[in-house]
Amino acid sequence: MELKTTKLTKQFGDFTAVDHMDLTMTNGVYGLLGVNGAGKTTLMRMLCTLLPPTSGSITCDGKDIFRMGADYRRLLGYLPQDFGFYPEFTVRDYLLYIASLKGLRPAVAKKRARDLIFQVGLSKVADKKMKKLSGGMKRRAGIAQAMLNDPKILILDEPTAGLDPNERIRFRNLISELSEERLVLLSTHIVSDVEYIANEIWLMKDGRLLRRGTAQGLIDSMAENVWKCFTDRSDVSALIKQHPVSNIRTEPHGVELRILSAEKPLPGAVMTEANLEDVFLYYFGEKAGEEHAEI
Amino acid sequence: MLKFEWKKVFSRPKSRIAILIMIAVLIVTSVLTINRVEYVDENGNHSTGISAARELRAAKNEWAGPLTGDVLQEVIAENDKINHSEEAQSNDIEKQDKAYAEKQGISGILSVISSAFSAYRDFDYFAADNVSSEEVTTLYDRRVSVLKDWLDSGQENYSQQEKDFLIGQYEDLDTPFYYEYTDGWSALLQNISTFILILALIIGFLTAGIFSDEFQTKADSIFFSTRYGRSRAVLSKAGAGFLITTVFYFVFVLLYTVIVLSVLGADGADCPIQLEMWRSVYNITFFEAYLFIAAGGYVGTLLASSLAMLVSARSRSTATATIVPFIVLCALPFLSRIITLPGFCSLFPDQLLEIYVDLKESALIEIGGKVMTTAMLILPVYTAVCVILQPVLYSVYRRTQIR
Repeated sequence: MELKTTKLTKQFGDFTAVDHMDLTMTNGVYGLLGVNGAGKTTLMRMLCTLLPPTSGSITCDGKDIFRMGADYRRLLGYLPQDFGFYPEFTVRDYLLYIASLKGLRPAVAKKRARDLIFQVGLSKVADKKMKKLSGGMKRRAGIAQAMLNDPKILILDEPTAGLDPNERIRFRNLISELSEERLVLLSTHIVSDVEYIANEIWLMKDGRLLRRGTAQGLIDSMAENVWKCFTDRSDVSALIKQHPVSNIRTEPHGVELRILSAEKPLPGAVMTEANLEDVFLYYFGEKAGEEHAEI
Repeated sequence: MLKFEWKKVFSRPKSRIAILIMIAVLIVTSVLTINRVEYVDENGNHSTGISAARELRAAKNEWAGPLTGDVLQEVIAENDKINHSEEAQSNDIEKQDKAYAEKQGISGILSVISSAFSAYRDFDYFAADNVSSEEVTTLYDRRVSVLKDWLDSGQENYSQQEKDFLIGQYEDLDTPFYYEYTDGWSALLQNISTFILILALIIGFLTAGIFSDEFQTKADSIFFSTRYGRSRAVLSKAGAGFLITTVFYFVFVLLYTVIVLSVLGADGADCPIQLEMWRSVYNITFFEAYLFIAAGGYVGTLLASSLAMLVSARSRSTATATIVPFIVLCALPFLSRIITLPGFCSLFPDQLLEIYVDLKESALIEIGGKVMTTAMLILPVYTAVCVILQPVLYSVYRRTQIR
């Protein structure tokens, strides 16, 4: 299974949401990391045939996915960012309906829905209306619907948005569990979502692929070092103006800062191991993503 | 899929409220219709509803049979006798009511005689009182001759083909009429158009969200990314719309019919509608008229719901789609009053729900030398429009893009 985009471009009027992207994906987990407005959702919508590209192509094993139509979509599982559902349906009915849209036979659909309800931990609320579920439960129902047809391509757009930390961890583990033997593309702006489960991370900015690689590879690609330093509160604003700061922790006698800098920023600064959040800050900056959040 | 589409519609609280409203409308309209039938007993007491229908039915059915010349003469004699009775001559309203009570059995026949012996566009309620025993035997001939006189008077704007059509239709009517109690059908036909209009609006409301609710609930992305999201699922939505329209329409129309006729009586189904609508150009029975009205109402309802679904698919807004049936069925009649093209307005789709009016007073249209009533034209035309709308609806929705 190979999903490939060639010079993939999507424009909305004068605005280019996705700009000549060349990607090749095979089985494995791909983490698409970028600030709001980077073009992640547009890219995913094109990969799900929801939106045609302005130019360029998307192929699945060499065939254009828009020409493949239903044949392509039968391979696909998708959890969109704004996960909508039918509020008056029970979880079971919802899954059975989506199963019918996916072409599962009723008997198979019933079994598959029952198994997935168990797998995502919704057995106790299977006959509750969707509108009565908590945010985390709804997301789990969302991942269950995406998995109904045992998709070869699983596309998850911001699957952990709005979840509390416990739910996020649980969801991450669930995705990790489901990712075997398939191509998973996971978009997020939350670094920890992809740090541990993605085989390859793509950094996307302004509709373009900025950098790609493993978490460690991306960390190594940074031209700057990460420093931990302790300073007085009055010095913080000056340091923020001079260097990118990935973390600020207030302590009783001052402030501990995590600074990205090629040179030692303060005399007492200690070089420390970089993580993916530092990479995110390094490539995207602190104010990125304040425009075009829906793209 | 169809089952789930159906479930989606009826799981909405708004839909359930709409159904409750429709049930309330059914009850109220049935009661109002049943109360149209009135009876005056031998003491001059008025009654309506179930007992009135029973008494009136018995009184009228005493005269049931073909309205031959002999029967018409008998009716004139009976009418004469009642008119000359002490009660009828009295100025006391109570006594006059008693006299009227005696006329109820022949009231339908007297109405036919009065129609025949009035001018073409008029109805002189007391005309039958002045018709002689000899004159009344010319009743059926007069129907044609009065029409011809009127057509020759130059008071109308019919073409020669239209005149020939009218005369032909009048001459083709089978006589003598068969007379019996038809008040159940009459009451039903008079009120059914209003009932169908309300039903069509509620069905339009139910179907308006079938396509747009995917967007309103933000379920669209998943829907269109599924294997059948752009094929069978769209068909099942259109199918659900058709099924809801059809099932709801026929269930409620049938319920209304059964309630009204079971109370008022279904006698007279085979009687010609000219007993009630003397000038009608349609040579059909009450039952056929009912089917014609119901068919027109169904096509009108189907058109309104199909257009609502099309707007729903295109605009992605349920609120906008809900307005469509109101525009098609309620706003156009207002437009008809404003614009001065009566021939054109009679082709508007709201006329599908006005077949009863067309049965009484038909607007004629000539196409390729063939004359027909507008109802006979718009029924197949709008049926074809409904059929054409389905692939358009399918095409519009399956090409949806999620931005």
